[in-house]
Amino acid sequence: MNRAERGYSLLEVTVSMAVFGAFIAIFFILTADMRRWEKRLPVNFLKNPQVGSVLVRLRRDVVDAHGTNPYRNEHAGYTASPQVLILETVKSDGLRTVVWDFRTEGVVRRREYNVGVSTDWVARGLPKELQAFEVGAVSTNAASWATEIKAKDEKGRLAIHQIYQPRATVDPASK
Amino acid sequence: MRDQRGFSLLELLAALLILTVVITVSFTAFYERTSRLQQASEISVAYQVLANEAEHRRRVEFNKLENETKFRSDVSLLAPLQPYATVVTVEQTKPGVRNVTLKIRWRNGEREASLALVRVDTGATNLW
Repeated sequence: MNRAERGYSLLEVTVSMAVFGAFIAIFFILTADMRRWEKRLPVNFLKNPQVGSVLVRLRRDVVDAHGTNPYRNEHAGYTASPQVLILETVKSDGLRTVVWDFRTEGVVRRREYNVGVSTDWVARGLPKELQAFEVGAVSTNAASWATEIKAKDEKGRLAIHQIYQPRATVDPASK
Repeated sequence: MRDQRGFSLLELLAALLILTVVITVSFTAFYERTSRLQQASEISVAYQVLANEAEHRRRVEFNKLENETKFRSDVSLLAPLQPYATVVTVEQTKPGVRNVTLKIRWRNGEREASLALVRVDTGATNLW
């Protein structure tokens, strides 16, 4: 009986299985290592263009904000809260009051008021894994005002934390 | 008859070689993709913190800008990158102009993100 007819010995099969087993083990070890690192990180908001567009537009409003303290407590039935930001900002043709409303899950509404007339810009379909947006005025270096926006992912990890400082406002401390 | 005698060792080795190449290529592509996505997530976290710190440093009085190892802004976003190190380097390039470089290093210094800010002593508001 030749070799092909009698098959493989136990030793040959064992060695083959061991080599293949080592290969699979390396695969699982590397995969587990990657997964471990991945789990440590919060959701990357850059994967969601809707979130990016909200941040870019909010940043522009804040950078162009007007006055020593551009934030308002109330406007047109809105009251400032961790989910509602009201600020005065400058456009090429004049001053505007802008309300950013994060109260509805998955939706961000920007309402711009120009002498009583309002214009809406709405971002819909914000991902469920980015929740609990909080936005508000914060003090940086005791005297100046900035806007801070935060959001957590579904596991409660901080995924977004950005601070935008108005460029045109005068720092009271420097007067 | 071929069906009865099975495969030769050469055939088996050739089949295993092809299988190994296919698995290795697939795994390398998968590993590279995951690794780059992970790196992108880390960098997006790092640059959020760097941008926040830059906003703080814009408001620091020009004469009080100095080298530091700690950021003044909230760095809790960096928690997943622990252990990490932060460095603030201030360099006077000419009278009234200072370059402020903010750096974050993590993965034992293998990865680094930096952001530079040029501050000018305007003598008025300290925003720039």
